[in-house]
Amino acid sequence: MRTITIDPITRLEGHGKISIFLDDRGDVADAYLQIPELRGFERFAQGRRAEDMPQITSRICGVCPVAHHFAATKALDAAFDVDPPSAAKKLRELMYCGYIIYDHTLHFYYLGGPDFIVDPDAKPEKRNILGVIEKVGIDVGKEVIKHRAYGQKITAILGGKATHPVCGLPGGVSKGLNKDETKEIEKMVKSCIEFAKFSLKIFDDIVLKNKKYVELIKSSPYQLATYNMGLVDKNNKINFYDGKIRVTDQKGNEFLKFDVKDYHKNIEEHVEEWTYTKFPYLKSIGWKGFTDGKDSGIYRVGPLGRLNAAEGMATPLADKEYKRFFETLGGKAVNSTLAYHWARLIELLYATERAMELVKDPEITSQKVRNPVGEPGEGMGIVEAARGTLIHHYKLNKDGLIEKANLIVATTNNAGAINMTIRNAAKGVIKKGDVSNETLNLVEMAFRAYDPCFACATHTLPGGLPLEVSIYNHKKNLIKTLKQNI
Amino acid sequence: MKTIILGAGNLILGDDGVGVHVANELKNHIKNPDITIDEAITGGMNLLDLILGYDKAIIIDAVKTEDGKNGEVKKIPMNEFSTIHSCNPHDISLSEAINMAKKMGENRIPKEIVIVGILMKEIPCEFKEKLSKKIAEAVPKAVKIVLNEIR
Repeated sequence: MRTITIDPITRLEGHGKISIFLDDRGDVADAYLQIPELRGFERFAQGRRAEDMPQITSRICGVCPVAHHFAATKALDAAFDVDPPSAAKKLRELMYCGYIIYDHTLHFYYLGGPDFIVDPDAKPEKRNILGVIEKVGIDVGKEVIKHRAYGQKITAILGGKATHPVCGLPGGVSKGLNKDETKEIEKMVKSCIEFAKFSLKIFDDIVLKNKKYVELIKSSPYQLATYNMGLVDKNNKINFYDGKIRVTDQKGNEFLKFDVKDYHKNIEEHVEEWTYTKFPYLKSIGWKGFTDGKDSGIYRVGPLGRLNAAEGMATPLADKEYKRFFETLGGKAVNSTLAYHWARLIELLYATERAMELVKDPEITSQKVRNPVGEPGEGMGIVEAARGTLIHHYKLNKDGLIEKANLIVATTNNAGAINMTIRNAAKGVIKKGDVSNETLNLVEMAFRAYDPCFACATHTLPGGLPLEVSIYNHKKNLIKTLKQNI
Repeated sequence: MKTIILGAGNLILGDDGVGVHVANELKNHIKNPDITIDEAITGGMNLLDLILGYDKAIIIDAVKTEDGKNGEVKKIPMNEFSTIHSCNPHDISLSEAINMAKKMGENRIPKEIVIVGILMKEIPCEFKEKLSKKIAEAVPKAVKIVLNEIR
């Protein structure tokens, strides 16, 4: 195998860059993805008041402020050695469900969905939310908008502003819920449950009943047999807000289960010279390059990773869907990258059902929502962000100021897998040097299934997914560049 | 006429937050109760939510261009600007969000949407709070353009 090194000069920040290298026959020899990485967080955080971290980190990303907010808050619970009152944990989790509701809805209908709902072969100008609405009808479009807004409203009621939550404090939350608020939330959640069921039905009707789609999901360029990781509760059911990290193997058997504080005992990060992104892998297996299978330490997170890493969903309707998912796709583990979309909808249903349990819990209106903090020390906090496992790690000095800070974000946890997925998809669809825009979309579909987050808000003209694909021939000369939205 | 002025961007990403710096500066100049000034670390759909119900929206944001001069300030009509702060892969662009809302019969979309762009070659990916010299110099220029816009 030839080794291809990309000059670090080609490191490109601000948008995703896929480099595809062809061999002398014009087939794909290798492919790499580079995504922008935010840098300098540790230095930025040093010397700041620890209590400010939930607010500061919620600004890291306009996409998942709630996930960062609570990963930071939970890290502070640990650093200040305080266990929040049970009502506070429930309020946090309820708010978290609101976030999952709007985030998963946005992804399915607006971003990833167009690939499936519209048609993978459709012209680019149709592959967007307007194309989706054309296909499913304006009334459905209205439901989508309504329920995404409900998710946001729920987070706003609990967290202050939906976009910058201010409720999380070490030891609890800043305020409780009153009866009127719970009634309002309950009404919205009730509607969200129906909407999630309806969304799964759309997936059933449009995708699962269409042979072409099912073949695409099961086709070999979109398979990847890595380990899988996600948070689980004591019954090994998925939980977004709390639990232990569970890792399962390619057959769905438990391989590891550990507390977040043992993260560094179990996970290590590999560095490649062509990107700033680090590639986490399972320490006990080791880094074996960009390869899957049981001898490679690469794992996946996010909706599919979570479904594979768990033994079911903790709510009845979602659990039924969970079982159907594995029955339909051939048992555990499901390795099809495109199954991320279906997994995301099952999680949407779970988040709505779980929100209902929480809002109906008599304790949710308790006003005992904060416990006094202890002495400052070191702590890690973990949540399942919509797109995968997110960890914050802080070390405080005796005055409660940040001495060390580190974030391990979801897209980093998925980095090795995303890279391989792109390479496999490129190998599967590019033959004899034939690289068209349609081919590009098939590669991109693989990438989009992960709902990757580039972390930094990039403003470039015009809008959409900013992506550049460069194709190099066997002499490593650039022969074609496909730019999208750059 | 109800107007909203939104500074888009991220205050902890250096020059990326220039829109918010401009919005904060505008708070010292504008006392009209019909004018709301706010910040938005968000794009696309969320941005649309924030401007619904106003007659006019002025959005101040960092804009990455290949040909523009670093620190130049430009008023950009909405139809020439197909995105704002939303090239994040997990969102759609503001114009896409508006087109969709129109199709749904949304009648609260502002009649006039103005983008005031502070042009820059690269949007930073490094955490810091300070603006670079060139971009800091653009703040008063952008403030002036917005003040003219609401006169």
